[in-house]
Amino acid sequence: MNRQLAHLSDEALVALAARSEQSALAELYDRYGRTAYGLALRVLRDQALAEDAVQEAFLTVWRTASRFMPERGKASTWILTLVHRRAVDAVRREQRRRADSLDRAAEPAVEGAEEDAFLHLQRERVQAALRHLPDAQREALELAYYGGFTQSELAERLGQPLGTIKSRMFGGLSRMRELLGEPGTETSWTPTT
Amino acid sequence: MDAHDLTAAYALDALAPDEAEAYERHLSQCEECREQLAELNETATALAFATVAPAPPARLRASILDAAAAERTNVVPLLRRRWVARGLAVAAAAAACIVVGLAVSLSQSSQPETVTASVVLGPNRTATLHISGLSAAPSGKTYEAWVIPKGGSPRPAGLFPGGGSTTVRLRGTVPRNAVVAVTRERAGGASTPTPPVLFSTPT
Repeated sequence: MNRQLAHLSDEALVALAARSEQSALAELYDRYGRTAYGLALRVLRDQALAEDAVQEAFLTVWRTASRFMPERGKASTWILTLVHRRAVDAVRREQRRRADSLDRAAEPAVEGAEEDAFLHLQRERVQAALRHLPDAQREALELAYYGGFTQSELAERLGQPLGTIKSRMFGGLSRMRELLGEPGTETSWTPTT
Repeated sequence: MDAHDLTAAYALDALAPDEAEAYERHLSQCEECREQLAELNETATALAFATVAPAPPARLRASILDAAAAERTNVVPLLRRRWVARGLAVAAAAAACIVVGLAVSLSQSSQPETVTASVVLGPNRTATLHISGLSAAPSGKTYEAWVIPKGGSPRPAGLFPGGGSTTVRLRGTVPRNAVVAVTRERAGGASTPTPPVLFSTPT
């Protein structure tokens, strides 16, 4: 694998992708493809659909890299937002959403050994933050983000007023932000070489 | 409906299409919501890292890169006869680092090399230059970075030997609209740059 771009920031790679540097797109995929695929698979529960969502998202990165604005947020956030949007669009289209979308037992077991240490650490941090949320907030975030439900669908499903669902999502994200922002929990990509 | 309280749902992609459109219209006129969305979006994306999944099949990477290559027919050729500077600036707000990326491709004699470089501007206009793929300077020579203020004379900003990946903390600050450039100089460096400029980028 060509990792000569490994020292560049994500944002610099997007700038290079905007100049048609294919190796920059490859490096972005090497950094975030696995997370992207994991996310799409969690939402879609179907390998072929998940691959399609990831491919479309990365091609959108390739097509629109010149319009990426670093002052609006991190490149990794932009890329994974594109992946998530594709996955949610597809799950709504395919009506593949399932009542058991929170059923962790259905997730494939994965050995950590083959996984990047950075990703492993990230996962533990975010899972720990999720565990600290009140149950109602965690449920709202998980059903919305992983289940692909709209706020109105959530209100109906949970038998709560829409206002309650909105507060749970806002409260949950705000609390997550505090938990993830605590010292020693840097989230940005830091090249190791 | 008050669009202000839709920010979290939008960050989670939990709005129906008509609601999302209405929120985006509001967003174009509400600085407060834009700032809040940037924060909540980053947090929502953290949820992506909590998932457990097997690695994607290797064909996915190849498929993406093939499709990307097929879409872009004006791909910048990797090999050039001479050093070619490709500078580009990415405008960014003061809070974040500004990344100025430039990719340089060259071939010397029969050995093609690809050099990539980027200038990262930090707060207070300090900057670092990151370079990889640049072959080590020959004996008795060094690479020298320069900061050239708009309308001013080049100022030496640091020496580096090249070879592998190098990070150079540029001496002093980089004024707005200055150009960062690199030349090859005799060991010990020079006080004015010796042509040719190997590559340069506006900041």
